[in-house]
Amino acid sequence: MKKTKKEVDIDAIVAKYRPVVSFRVKKSIGVQTPDWEDIVNEIMINVVEKLKKGEFRGDSSIGTFIYTITSRRIIDFIRKKSKVLKHAPEPNPYLSPQEHIEDRERAQWIANSIEKLKPKYKEVLFLYYYKELSREEVAKKLNISPRRVSERVNYAQKLLKKIMKE
Amino acid sequence: MKKCKFENLIDEYLFDRLDETQKETFEDHYFNCPQCFEKMEEKDEMIAVIRAKGSDIFRDDFAPAKTRRPILEPVLAFLTPRQWAMAAVSAALITVVAIGIIPRLKTNSPQFFINDDLVRGSSITLISPVIDNLNQIPSEFRWQSLGENIEYKLFIFHQEELLWNTTTKDNFVTLSVEIKSQMAPGKKYSWQVKAFSSEGSLIAVSSRVQFNFINSK
Repeated sequence: MKKTKKEVDIDAIVAKYRPVVSFRVKKSIGVQTPDWEDIVNEIMINVVEKLKKGEFRGDSSIGTFIYTITSRRIIDFIRKKSKVLKHAPEPNPYLSPQEHIEDRERAQWIANSIEKLKPKYKEVLFLYYYKELSREEVAKKLNISPRRVSERVNYAQKLLKKIMKE
Repeated sequence: MKKCKFENLIDEYLFDRLDETQKETFEDHYFNCPQCFEKMEEKDEMIAVIRAKGSDIFRDDFAPAKTRRPILEPVLAFLTPRQWAMAAVSAALITVVAIGIIPRLKTNSPQFFINDDLVRGSSITLISPVIDNLNQIPSEFRWQSLGENIEYKLFIFHQEELLWNTTTKDNFVTLSVEIKSQMAPGKKYSWQVKAFSSEGSLIAVSSRVQFNFINSK
């Protein structure tokens, strides 16, 4: 009885955490690394195995449990990669053409949506994300408080989400 | 929805501005906080687009074209946004005045030609002589008046060379005997009138009309 419940949970956990793990992996090793998807798969398999073996005892949250597994795998990968790199240069990775087009279209859609924002919001996105100025530098430039900068950035993001839903 | 205290770290994390401990704490957090993770994913996507296409997205507003980037910053910093706004408003007002009001101060302004160049302004209708093969030298040149206080300048050309010119406030000129004596039958002449306002600025030009005459009497 208890076991069936656990198995149901496992599916939900995999569904919920795959994107989070993917994000973490991509962020660490770079989306340009072609292996990132394999690593995510390995991590998810590892998580499922450990859950099935009952290694998750609930001392920490399930999120932290998966985070620890993810981090360990990434560290392993980076270590191995740096060894390999000494001998052979990495081949240039390419996205599959299909993926490439979808990404490009989505990127264009986001770009168009940003263009529709009011100048006030565009300006803050421009300084903060494009010029990569710090919150304080942006605040000084726009003559507003750093807190207002964050608020405006977040509001811009909210508006953007709204525009994209339209 | 209550704001998560970690939310402020999203940008710092995406820009790699956190130290190792902060980074780990935040990573552990977003493995446990779906709201933060969702926001971060959205942000990450938006930032990627801005980084890749920023010069296009913002070209109209802040013109951060790659070649102009170094110039832009001091220019932007030169005025505060408020001052920029004021400057923009002033520029808009000047534009409105220039486009909307100044032309109304002038009278109707159809187009006329000066040596085939299209110029804006009033045109002058020449009344006489406007036909070829006159029986004698025309003694009077007449055109349509454009109103009060206008000075006209009459030009008479022999082929392309200026033969004579004179200035008058009337809408006609009577040729003197000396000028007539310089003109010969069978040759090609043309005439043209330009109008000037009382301040001396050119306001209208007529077309150039050809004429010749058969007898000198």
